[in-house]
Amino acid sequence: MKNGFNKQHVAIGIVCLLIGLMIAILFNTNHQTIDRDTRDTWEIRTALLEEQKIQQNLYMEIAEAEQTLQEYQDQTEHQQIESLKNSIHELREQAGLTEKSGQGIIISLEPMFLEEDYQEYPEINAELLQLLINELNAAGAREMAVESQRVINITPIRDVNGNIYVNNSSIGELPTKIHVLTNDSEEIINHLEVSEIGDYFALENVTMNISEQSDIVLPEYDEQIDLQDVDIVDVPEEGES
Amino acid sequence: MWLPALFLIIGLLLGFMTNMSIPDAYTNYLSIAVLAALDTLFGGIRAQLEAKFDQKVFISGFFFNVSLAAFLAFIGVQLGIDLYLAAIFAFGVRLFQNLAMIRRLLLEKYELYRKAKKVRNHNI
Repeated sequence: MKNGFNKQHVAIGIVCLLIGLMIAILFNTNHQTIDRDTRDTWEIRTALLEEQKIQQNLYMEIAEAEQTLQEYQDQTEHQQIESLKNSIHELREQAGLTEKSGQGIIISLEPMFLEEDYQEYPEINAELLQLLINELNAAGAREMAVESQRVINITPIRDVNGNIYVNNSSIGELPTKIHVLTNDSEEIINHLEVSEIGDYFALENVTMNISEQSDIVLPEYDEQIDLQDVDIVDVPEEGES
Repeated sequence: MWLPALFLIIGLLLGFMTNMSIPDAYTNYLSIAVLAALDTLFGGIRAQLEAKFDQKVFISGFFFNVSLAAFLAFIGVQLGIDLYLAAIFAFGVRLFQNLAMIRRLLLEKYELYRKAKKVRNHNI
């Protein structure tokens, strides 16, 4: 250091500077702060409210189940059989094994012909139909049927050689009618009108006509419910976000 | 002697103050480069203690080792072999060897210093 800052010292210094910088960057990269909860009080309160709603629903379910249990225990044998039959009937209704009627909407998917010289007869595919059914479920549909096929929890919708199969039977060519039972037809119609599903159908030259009906009858699911290939999926526990 | 240490601290401060970080994908390259840099640094200190320090060797060694290490890691990623482990091993071993040498040299120097002090005291 006799000459003060000579060239040699500066060069070594720069190397040391680089080493320090590299170490600091590596340290910073390995010690990234974990995502912090940045929700404000209002957002947390809303989340809490939602959780409370879920909890309340669960409590209600428990109460119902306990009531049924109580009924079984309190009744005579004859009554027990009666209430068991009631339960079975309820469960069958939930599973979609009974005919069901009520108010709702009918969506009919029809071919849309543009003024072109040549156009193939339009077709829809299973994915689009699945998308539509998901939209309907999200909008609050209670029960559904595609043509004469009741849609239940495990209904498969798939393309088989260019035909769409619902519940292992073809629904045929367009036009196709989808019957939907709901308490609030208005809401579903609004939901469908603002969603993009109409555009997706339009891309395939298919239009959606929605009509409100006060009396719709859904057919029953007429096949055996086969749960052999149904597995329990890992569901995150309640309260885990 | 104090200039490199000062620059090292400045570098560290600069890194921490700017809060710079790199994408996760490149952490491997940087960590191996840091290891190579540390190896060169300790090599330089050892050479200084052995009075064999050559600036050209030091600086070229720094850049060459760092880029070679990063390149090795890159090749490893491309080939699906964890080649960076080889670099970590090699640099790790060298790092410890250098540290051991530095410790011995410092001890020797300390012994010499004590003997010299004794002799001086004796003479007085």
